[in-house]
Amino acid sequence: MRKRLLSLLLPALSTAGLIALWYLGRILLGPDRLFLLPAPHEVAAALSAKGPALVAAARNTALGALLGFSLAVTVSSLLALFLSLSPRIRAGLYPLLMGLQMTPVVVLAPILILWAGPGLASVVIITFLICFFPMVVNTTQGLISTDANLVDFFRMCNADKRQEIFMLRVPAALPYFFTGLRIAATLAPIGAIVGEQTAGTSAGGQGGLGYLAVVYSSQFQMAAVFAVVIVSCLLGFVLAGGANWLSWLALHKWHESYHRADL
Amino acid sequence: MNPADSPPPIVDLKDVVKRYGQGPAILDGINLQARRGDFISLIGPSGCGKSTLLKLISGLSPISGGAITVDGMQPIDAREEMFFVFQEPTLMPWLTVADNVEVPMRLRNRHVASKRKEIVRESLALVGLAERASYHPRQLSGGQKMRVSIARALSMSPHILLMDEPFGALDEMTRDHLNEELLAIRQKRAWTAFFVTHSVAEAVFLSNRIIVLSANPGRIHSEIRVNLAYPRTEETRLSPEYQRLVGEVSVLLRSVERLKTTAAHA
Repeated sequence: MRKRLLSLLLPALSTAGLIALWYLGRILLGPDRLFLLPAPHEVAAALSAKGPALVAAARNTALGALLGFSLAVTVSSLLALFLSLSPRIRAGLYPLLMGLQMTPVVVLAPILILWAGPGLASVVIITFLICFFPMVVNTTQGLISTDANLVDFFRMCNADKRQEIFMLRVPAALPYFFTGLRIAATLAPIGAIVGEQTAGTSAGGQGGLGYLAVVYSSQFQMAAVFAVVIVSCLLGFVLAGGANWLSWLALHKWHESYHRADL
Repeated sequence: MNPADSPPPIVDLKDVVKRYGQGPAILDGINLQARRGDFISLIGPSGCGKSTLLKLISGLSPISGGAITVDGMQPIDAREEMFFVFQEPTLMPWLTVADNVEVPMRLRNRHVASKRKEIVRESLALVGLAERASYHPRQLSGGQKMRVSIARALSMSPHILLMDEPFGALDEMTRDHLNEELLAIRQKRAWTAFFVTHSVAEAVFLSNRIIVLSANPGRIHSEIRVNLAYPRTEETRLSPEYQRLVGEVSVLLRSVERLKTTAAHA
């Protein structure tokens, strides 16, 4: 009980500290540059005033993030299964994957606009590209890290390759898969917002948080820009929380990571 | 009994050689015949190829020379007859204890589901873990996990049980206790056993034959017969004959260890 109280109290204290610093910062800025840093209460007012626009934009961003994220999960799982089959396949394909990861996604945006047109499709592809790499690397690592004795045990039982993969390697890889999933979930909203700013569109109410941030800053509505930041942050929490919850569902009954109080 | 009348050995190793790639021989000139019901312990310095020998008999690793037959078949074709108990419990952490025990039967397509559940219950009862059926491995102690591993092997009713230092990681009390349990179960289900161990006391307590291996390359150095009557119990450990045998095997093992160090210095 005390522990739980403490775990609520500490973040509350640090948030209060941050808000105090924020006000202090405004005093230090002086009157003529005050517009650069709107006060917390002004941001709160903007949150309420721009509420409907923010919610609509957040919904669009969430859609792009979720679609890109889901696509990344699907494609990376299938690719990881393929990569896990042999070291030669991995040696052949890893350099290409690394190359894709090393290419800044923003540079690809102009190409994507030409290929898919500005809008949801491009946003989804950019989100996919950002989420995909940590997922495929983690899942592949999991699939090839199965305990050698368990593999021998399956061979002693005359298991065929299909049984070895789906009854042994896949479940054994789940902790790795969920590590990738949790990283990807924090990247997905970033990918979607970057996507909106580089290859998005505002046509037909499709503008997301990335678009809104650009619009408000061009109009010097600083409090509204900060409101977009806060909503983006909340969206990130929702997606990461969802991934953590899925991981908990799949692993908490058996995996050590959910049972070591001292870690 | 006249040797000509005796039944053929259930496991027969003739001039077996094992090497990895072009490397030196790990095992060389291994000749060993196991009769039905033998409990054979393999003991020797580390690196003498004891565990490798089990892998060869199980067919998990191919031989480089000589021949192995298990019940007249190639090892790989005789897997239905054998089961392997590994150094570690080798359980699947995501499955419950009962599901872990059921896995080999599912993989080998044995029995209908209801019959499998019945065998799981029996096997777990045999190792005293009937109440832990719905637990996950992480909720068990090291000794309990090893018991599950043994129950899993027993559920397949193997004729031959290959055990690779199954109790090596356990404390002495637990180990003694599991040794007694193992022999008690064996009274009910007569399998032939190959048992790799580092413990002389364990080898003497369990086996009727102890094979001492020497290293570089692994060869059979000597064999000791243990003529202590089964069933063996806690009292067996107090008998003078048991103590004498432990002494004898320890001396042998030490002389083999010395062989290894002289070879290394030569």
